[in-house]
Amino acid sequence: MEQINITINGKEIITSPGKTILEVVNENKIDEIPTLCHDNRLEHFTSCFLCVVEIEGMNKLVPSCSTMIQNGMKILTHSKTVVESRKTALELLMSNHYADCIGPCKNNCPAGVDAQTYIALISMGKYEEALKLVKENNPLPLSIGRVCVRDCETACRRNIIDEPVAVNALKRFIADEDAVHKWKPVLKERKNKKVAVIGGGPSGLSCAYYLTIEGYSVTIFEKLPKLGGMLRYGIPEYRLPKKILDTEINWILSLGVEVKTNVELGIDFSIKDLLRSGYDSVFIGVGAHKASKLGLDGEDRIYGIFRGIDFLREITLSYIPQLHGKVIVVGGGNTAIDAARTALRCGAEEVKIVYRRSIHEMPANHEEIEAAQKEGIEILFLTNPKSIIADNNKLKAIECLKMELVEGKPGERPKPVPKAGSEFIIDCDFLIGAIGQAVDTGFVKFDNDCSLEKWGTVHVDNDTMETSIPGVFAGGDVVTGPLTAIMSIAQGKKAAKSIMGYFQTGHVNKSSTKYYSLKNKLTKITDREFEHVKKLAREKMKEISVTDRTHNFQEVELGFSETQCQFEAGRCLECGCSEYSDCQLRKYCDEYNIDISEFVGETKKYLVDGRHPFILMDPNKCINCGRCVRTCAEVLKVSALGFVYRGFKSVVKPAMEKALSDTNCIGCGNCIDACPTGAISEKYPFKILGTLPKENNETICNFCSIGCKINLKKINDEIFYVANTTDSIKNSHNDGFLCSKGRFGYRYLLEKNRILNPMVRKHGLIYNVKIDEALPYVELKLKSIIDEYGKDSVAIMASPKLSNEELYLLQKFARVGLNNNNISSFSNMLYGFEQNSLDDIAGFTSSTVTMDEIKNADVIVVINSNLSDENLVMELKIKAAQKKGAKLILINSSEISLAKYADLWIDTKKGTNTILINNLIKRCIADNVVDHHFLSRHQTDVNKLQKELAETKEEDIYRYCELDKEKYSEFLNCLTNINANIIFISNLDSTSDKSINDIKSVGNFLHLTGRIGKPDNGIIILREFNNSVGFSEMGSSPGYLPGYVKQSEVNEIKRISETWNIDLTNIFVDTDLARKLRRGEIKAILIFGEDPLIIRNNKKYFSGIEFMVVCDSFHTDTTAEADVILPAATYIEQSGSFTRCDNIVQLAPRIISGLHDYENWSIIVKLARYFSKEFNFNSVDEIMNEIRRVNRYYKYGGINKSWIKEYFNNGYNQQVINFAATKIDLSTFDPVKPVIHYQENYYFSNVKSKLV
Amino acid sequence: MKKIKVGLGTCGISAGGQLVFEKFKEELKLKNIDAELSETGCMGMCYEEALVEIEDDKNDVLYSKVTVDKVGRIINDHLINGNPVNDWIIKSNEFSKEESFFKNQKRIVLRNCGVINPSSIDEYIANDGYKAIQKVIEKYTRDEVIDIIINSGLRGRGGGGFSTGLKWKFAKSTQSDKKYVICNADEGDPGAFMDRSVLEGDPHSVLEGMMIAAYAIGADEGFIYCRAEYPLAIKRLRNALNQCRSRGLLGEKIFGSHFNFDIKIKEGAGAFVCGEETALMSSIEGKRGVPKLRPPFPAQKGLWGKPTNINNVETYANVPWIILNGLQEFAAMGTEKSKGTKVFALAGKVKRTGLVEVPMGMTINEIIFDVGGGIKDNRKFKAVQMGGPSGGCIPASMGDLKIDYDEITKTGAIMGSGGLIILDDTTCMVDLAKYFLNFTQLESCGKCTFCRIGTKRMLEILERITDGNGKERDLFLLEDLAQKIKMASLCGLGQTAPNPVLTTLKYFREEYEAHIFDKKCPAHNCPSLITYHIVLEYCKGCGVCIKACPTGSITGNKKEIPVLNESLCIKCGKCYDACKLDAIIKV
Repeated sequence: MEQINITINGKEIITSPGKTILEVVNENKIDEIPTLCHDNRLEHFTSCFLCVVEIEGMNKLVPSCSTMIQNGMKILTHSKTVVESRKTALELLMSNHYADCIGPCKNNCPAGVDAQTYIALISMGKYEEALKLVKENNPLPLSIGRVCVRDCETACRRNIIDEPVAVNALKRFIADEDAVHKWKPVLKERKNKKVAVIGGGPSGLSCAYYLTIEGYSVTIFEKLPKLGGMLRYGIPEYRLPKKILDTEINWILSLGVEVKTNVELGIDFSIKDLLRSGYDSVFIGVGAHKASKLGLDGEDRIYGIFRGIDFLREITLSYIPQLHGKVIVVGGGNTAIDAARTALRCGAEEVKIVYRRSIHEMPANHEEIEAAQKEGIEILFLTNPKSIIADNNKLKAIECLKMELVEGKPGERPKPVPKAGSEFIIDCDFLIGAIGQAVDTGFVKFDNDCSLEKWGTVHVDNDTMETSIPGVFAGGDVVTGPLTAIMSIAQGKKAAKSIMGYFQTGHVNKSSTKYYSLKNKLTKITDREFEHVKKLAREKMKEISVTDRTHNFQEVELGFSETQCQFEAGRCLECGCSEYSDCQLRKYCDEYNIDISEFVGETKKYLVDGRHPFILMDPNKCINCGRCVRTCAEVLKVSALGFVYRGFKSVVKPAMEKALSDTNCIGCGNCIDACPTGAISEKYPFKILGTLPKENNETICNFCSIGCKINLKKINDEIFYVANTTDSIKNSHNDGFLCSKGRFGYRYLLEKNRILNPMVRKHGLIYNVKIDEALPYVELKLKSIIDEYGKDSVAIMASPKLSNEELYLLQKFARVGLNNNNISSFSNMLYGFEQNSLDDIAGFTSSTVTMDEIKNADVIVVINSNLSDENLVMELKIKAAQKKGAKLILINSSEISLAKYADLWIDTKKGTNTILINNLIKRCIADNVVDHHFLSRHQTDVNKLQKELAETKEEDIYRYCELDKEKYSEFLNCLTNINANIIFISNLDSTSDKSINDIKSVGNFLHLTGRIGKPDNGIIILREFNNSVGFSEMGSSPGYLPGYVKQSEVNEIKRISETWNIDLTNIFVDTDLARKLRRGEIKAILIFGEDPLIIRNNKKYFSGIEFMVVCDSFHTDTTAEADVILPAATYIEQSGSFTRCDNIVQLAPRIISGLHDYENWSIIVKLARYFSKEFNFNSVDEIMNEIRRVNRYYKYGGINKSWIKEYFNNGYNQQVINFAATKIDLSTFDPVKPVIHYQENYYFSNVKSKLV
Repeated sequence: MKKIKVGLGTCGISAGGQLVFEKFKEELKLKNIDAELSETGCMGMCYEEALVEIEDDKNDVLYSKVTVDKVGRIINDHLINGNPVNDWIIKSNEFSKEESFFKNQKRIVLRNCGVINPSSIDEYIANDGYKAIQKVIEKYTRDEVIDIIINSGLRGRGGGGFSTGLKWKFAKSTQSDKKYVICNADEGDPGAFMDRSVLEGDPHSVLEGMMIAAYAIGADEGFIYCRAEYPLAIKRLRNALNQCRSRGLLGEKIFGSHFNFDIKIKEGAGAFVCGEETALMSSIEGKRGVPKLRPPFPAQKGLWGKPTNINNVETYANVPWIILNGLQEFAAMGTEKSKGTKVFALAGKVKRTGLVEVPMGMTINEIIFDVGGGIKDNRKFKAVQMGGPSGGCIPASMGDLKIDYDEITKTGAIMGSGGLIILDDTTCMVDLAKYFLNFTQLESCGKCTFCRIGTKRMLEILERITDGNGKERDLFLLEDLAQKIKMASLCGLGQTAPNPVLTTLKYFREEYEAHIFDKKCPAHNCPSLITYHIVLEYCKGCGVCIKACPTGSITGNKKEIPVLNESLCIKCGKCYDACKLDAIIKV
C-alpha cells in the first residue's frame, strides 16, 4: 500500500494514509496532545481547539484530531504559537466555567485543609479518615479545632443562605474522637539529614512533623520551657487547655522529634552555629512575643499597667496574678479579648475593653466577642485612650477620646479620627494594652546574615519560604508578623516541603500552584442560585454557663456531640466538584499554567439539575465538547441530549430542555464517562469526596453474560463507584460502554444488610458463631442426614452468578464429596428452557462465534431477546455494526425498543418463529443455498431433515405466523445469500417472546449453510446471569459434567473419574432434582448465592428439608429460614473467573479487602474436605488448573481467549453433527384457537428477573 | 399598447408598491384603459421606490416615489392625455435625473431584474431564458461546460472567490452514484440584499445556472437553501420551479436528453452560520447547523456524504449569460484575476442606497461617488465597510482601490457577497467594530471555543472601550485574541469574525487610542464619552430641546437660554436632533 512520509517535531515518520495527525502522534508516542472534545469511539467533532498543531507553510493552526496527514507535512506539536493558543483556549473555557473545583473552604484556608472532604468523611462516620485528611495539612487539629480564626467559615457559601457550616467544630470533634491517638502516620525510611527547627510554636511543630514523617531527623530549639509557642503562651487555658495542647505536642514528639528547651536563638546559639554543628538545614519559626506599646506617657513607669501578650504569657509561665477592682483592656484583637476574659478570671470585678473602631472592624473572632460580652465585659467602641491618670505612680484612671470613622483608601478599613473635645475619664485599677505584637528579631543582629523586611520580619521567598541564607528557611509570625496559627502551620509545612526539595535536588524549587476554578473568581455569587436550599440553623456548641466559668480557667466550649456533628455535616453544600481528581479540563489548566484574569467577563449561570435518579447535570461546567451528545446520538442512538441556543449561550441540555428523566433517556450513564469535566456526573450514593485520591480497578460487570469490563474507582474499602474512563477500559470489548445495571448497579455492594458472620439456628434461636464452629456443625448435620436417609438426600444449589472456581468446587463437592448428582441452581432448574438446544448440533449449547465478530456481520438476526432491557451493550455492538453496513433483522412478536432500530422487523405471531425458520431452511434446500463442503466434512443427514420439513408449507408463514408476504420475501432475500456473514443473537433466558424449538431451527439453518465454526458467522447465545455459561461449562447441573460431558459419553466420564479418583458411573445418572425436591426426598440442602424463597411458591420444594445451609453476602428471604448461614464475600472481595456469553473466561480480581478474611472457595474446600480428600486446593489458581485438566474444551482456550475458535479449527472436525428435530404441533397456533400468551415458566422468569 | 410595470421587489413593496399596483389595477379597470399592468423586480434604485415604468413604442418613462395619491394623475395625464408628468419622472428616453447611476453600471446578473415579470416564465424565455441550458445539453460535453466556466474566470460570488469552474471540476471528478448541487441563498450579512433581489426579480436565471452546474458535474438533485425571512423570494422560486416542471425544464429527460434534474427548496431558520457550506448541508440534512472541518470538501463528501457543488445565487445567475454570450465577453470585463461584474448593495451614508452591478476593476470612489451619488448630506467620506461581519473597513484614503478579489483581501477586508456600507465622519469606528462583532458573536453556532467565548471576550473589551473604561492593555488583548481566533476556528465565521476589529485597528487605531487614553470619541458617537452643551450664541430660546428631552434634564423658560443638567442627561441625542439652530453640540 501507498505510504506517507511526514515530519513531526523534526522526526520523520512513514505511515499509511487515512490517519489523523493526532492518531499518528499517539501511535508513535511523540507528544501528548491535549484534547477535550475528541473521543476515539466517536466521529470527529473538533470544537475545543486544544489539539491544534502547526503545519509548516500554513498561516493557521489546524486541529490535529480531525486533520488528515498528507505527504510531506511538517508538523510542530508544541511550538510557541501552539502552546499559546492552547493556553488561551483553556483560559477562555475557564472564563465561562462557573464552578468550584474545590470548596471555597479549602481555598480560603491558608493551609489548604480540605474541609469539604473531611466533612463528607465525617458524615459517613469515617472519623479517622477525616482526621488523616486534616493532618495532611494541619498536624494540630486538637488545638486549631479550638482556636482557629476559621477562614474556611468566612468563605463558606452557607453565609449566603444562613450561617456558615461550623467547620472548625467538626474538626475539633474528630480530633477529640482521636484524642487517644489511635492513628499515627507511617514514617518513611530514615534519611541521613538533620534539620534544626527554631521555635516550638505552630509553624515549628508543623515543619518538624512533615519533615519527620518523611524520614528526616529534626531537633526543635525552644527558648521557653515548653513547646507550643503562642498556643501555649498566648492563648488562655479556658480556650485551649494546656493538657490538650500537651497531648498533641507529645503525639508529634513521639514520632521521633528531639527537643531542646530554654535555649534562645541569638543568645545561646546562632544559625551559623547550627549549620556548623551538622544541621543540614534550619527553619526559623520564632513567634511575635514582643508586645507593642500604647504610646502613652508613663506606661512603663506606673504600677498596674500590663501588656496583653506578656500578661497571658506570665500566667502560663509562672502564676495567676490576683487582680481586683476595675480593669481596662485596650485593643480589638483576640489578644485583647483573651486578656479581658482572663482578667475577669483573675479576680477583676469589672472589665472593660476600649477599642477605637466599631464592632464591624474588630479583628477578634465574632464568637469570642460575644462570649466576652456574655461574661459581662463591656466594650467601648470608637474610644481611644489619650492619657494615663495616676496618683503617686499608681493607676487611677485613663482619659479617653471618642473617635469617628472616616472612609479610608479603597480596600482599607475606615480610619478612626478623634472627635475634638470628646475627652472623658474612666476609672480603673489595671490597664492592659493589647494593641499589637511584633517579632523580636534581635537574633539577626547577632547573626548578621538574614535580611529583614521593612516591618522587622524576616525576608523570605514567598513561594519557598527560603531566607536570604541558602538552606535556611523561615515561617510563621517571624515572616508574617503576628498572624494566625493556621497561617504559621501552613508556612511550616511549605518550608518543610522546600527543605525536602533542597535535600533531594540541592536547590529550592518553586512549587507549582494548582489552578482551581472558583465561582467567585468569575462573578459575584447571588442568593438566587441557592433559592432551593433549605435554611438550617447552625448547631450551637455547648458551653459552661457564665456563672460557672468566669472565676476559673475551665474550658468554656465543650465541643459537638456526635448527633450535632452529623447534623452540621449535613449542612455542607458540597461546593467542590466530585470529578476533581479526574477532570481533564483542570489537568490541562495546570499543565498550561493558565491565568483567566484578563478574560473575566460575562459568565453563564445555570441551576444544577439533579432531577434524574442517577445523573447530575451541571451545565455551568459544560465546555460544549459534545461528547455526551454524540455518545447519546451516535452510539446509543437515543439523542436524549443536545445543544440548545447559539453562540456564547449555547450549552448542552436534555432534549427540549426537559428534565433528563422526562426525555427518552435510558439511564445508561454513558454520558457521565463521556464528559471530560464535571458537567455530567453521577449522583453518587455518598457525599462528594473530590480531592481524595482514587484508585482504578478493572473488573467485570456481574449483571449479565456480556461480561462488560468495568472500572471500579475505589476511594477506600467502603467507598467505590463505577467510572469507565480509563483508556484500557475504552479499548475493551464493550468499548467502555455500559448499561444502567452495569453503570449504577454497583450500589448494591454498598448496601448495609451484609451478613457479617456465620450464624447457626438452634431451637429456633439464631447464634453468631465462628466459621470454625459453623463448618463442623454443618458436617455433623449432613453426615447424620446421610446416615439416616442415604447419600441422595443432600442437594447443592449454586447460583449462576458464582465464579467458575466456586461452581466447579460445588459440583465436585456433590459428586465427589457427597457421591450424588444433586447439583443445580434454582434459576436453571425451575426456569431453564432449551438449555440443550444446540447439543446435538455443536456438542454444547453456547455461542459459536465471539462478540468481536459482530462488527464483520452482513446480517444480524436478533431472536428471542429484548436487548435494550436485558443486554444493552449487545445492542450497541449491533448499532455499531449497522453503521458499517450490517442489516439488523429482529424477530419478535411484540414491539420492543429494538424494533425501531431494526432494518427489518419480523413481527411473527407469538410462538411461531420455528415455522418461519423451518421455511427458511426449506427454501435454502430448494434453492441449493447449502454449504456442501461443510456438510461433507461432518457426519450428517440432510435427507432426514428434508423429510422432517416435508410438511412445512410457505403458506403457514402467512396463516400461522401472520406475516405479510413482502416482509417474508425481504427476510428470505437477506438470509438466502450463502456468502453473507450472518450472526444470530438469542438470549436463552430472555423473557422476550420465544417459541419451542426456535434455537434448534436456527441451529439447523446455521449448520446447513455451514455457518457453525465459520468466522463472522454463527450464533451468540446470551444468558441471564453473568456466569450462566460458566455454570454449564463447570458441569454444575445434573445433566453435564464439566466440559458439557453428557451421560452418553462413556470415555469422557471415565477420564474425569480417573482425575477425581472416583467412579462416576453410578453417581452421574439421570436426575430430576425438581421432582426429588417436590417429593420431599431431599432432606438437607446447601444453597450458595441463591434466594429461591423470594418467591413464596417455591416453598413447595422445601417440604422435605430438615437442614438448610445458605451461603450469601446479604440477608435474604432464604437466609431468614436457614439453619446455618455462612457469610460470603462479594465478587469484588475475592478473585475468581467468569465466563461470558461467547465463552471467554475473564478474571475478576479482588478489589477490596472485604468483611471476611477468607474467600468463598476456601469455605467450600473446608466443608468438602470433611467428605473427601480430593479437595486439596490452596488457591483459586490451583482450582483453575484442575478445571483446565477436567474440562475438555479448555485446552483450546485460556484467560481472555475464547476456546471456541481453536476448537473449531482443531477438535471440531471429529464432532458428529445431527440436525435437531424441530417438528412442531401447529394445532396450538391455529388462528381459530385462542392464543396462549404466556406459559407459567415465562411468567415466573419474568417476575423473577424483575425481583432479582 | 402601453405597458405599466410596478417594481415589486421587497424594496418596492415596503415603499408601498403593492398599493400602487392595486390602485393602477382598479383605476385601469374603472376607466377602461387598455394597458398591460405587470409587476417586476428591483430596478436597483431602492432609494427612489416605489418605481413605476410606463412603456410604449415611443417612450419609456420611469416614475419615482410613486404613491397611491399620484396614481390618478399619472393615469390621467400620461395614459389618457399622453402628457407624462414631468415632475415625477426620474428617467425617460429624453433625460435622466440619475444618469450616472445607470451609466456606470454593467448589468449581467441583474439583466432581467426590473425588466421582466419574475412570475412569468414566458418573459424569461422571451429574454433568451433557458437557451443556455439547451445549448449546453445539445452542444457541449460536461467537460466543455466546465472548461468554459473555468476560462471565463468566474469566481464564487459568495465571498470566497474560489474559481467556480474548478469547484465544478472537483465535484465532477469525484466518483459517486449520487451527486447534488446546492444554491446557497442564505444571505445573512447585515445590509446585504443582492441575492434576495435576484431571486425576487429573476428566479429563473438562478435555476438555469443550477441546471447547467448539475449537468456539468452529473447531479440529478438540487437544493436551494433560502432563508425563511425571504418569503417573496421563496414564493417566486416556488412558482418558477412549478413552471419549469410543467414545461419539462425540470424532471426527467430534459430537452430530450438523458439529463434528469429537479430542485427542492429548503428554508433556513435564519442562522447566519448556515451560510457556511458545511453548516448549510448539516441543516439540509435536518441536523443542527454546525460547521465541520474541511477537508473533506463538499465536492468530495458533501450532502449526505455525496459529492456536492455549492454556489451562491449571484454565481449561478452569471452562468447562463456566460454560456450565451461567450466566455471572452465575460473575461473581457474586470481585472487580471477578477472577471465579470459584481453586484453590490449600497447602504449607509450614501445618497443612492440600492442595488448596483459594476464591472470588476471599478474603484471604490467611482462606486460611491459616480454610481452612488456621493455621501449623504455632503459629509466627509470616511471609510467603506465591505464584506459584512466577515469583512473589514477600507479607509477613504484607499478610495482608488479597484474592485478585485485579491486587492481587497490585501487590505484586510474581503470582497464578501457584496455588502457595501458607506461611512461618514459621524461614524465611530470602535462602535462599528463592536456592531459587527456583536453580530458574529450572536450568530456563532457556539461549537468552537475561540469563536464562542473569544468573540464574546473581544466584544466585552470593545464595550469597555466605548464605555470609557478601556485600558492600555486592551489593544494588545484585542489583537492577540483576534489573531488566535483567526488561527484556530473551524469555519469561516470564526476565522473572519475579528476582521472588522483588525481592520479598524489597522486604519483607525488613533480612534481606539482616543477612547482609551483621552476618554473621547472623535466621532462624537459613544454616549459614555460625550456630553451635550448648549451654545449660547446660537440658541434663541425656542424650547424645542426642553420638549424633546425625555428625562427633564433641560430646563428653562421660554425665550431664555435653557440649562442642561448633565447628571440627568442620558445622552440620547434627542435634543441634538431637535435643535434646528445647531445650538446643541456634542463634545
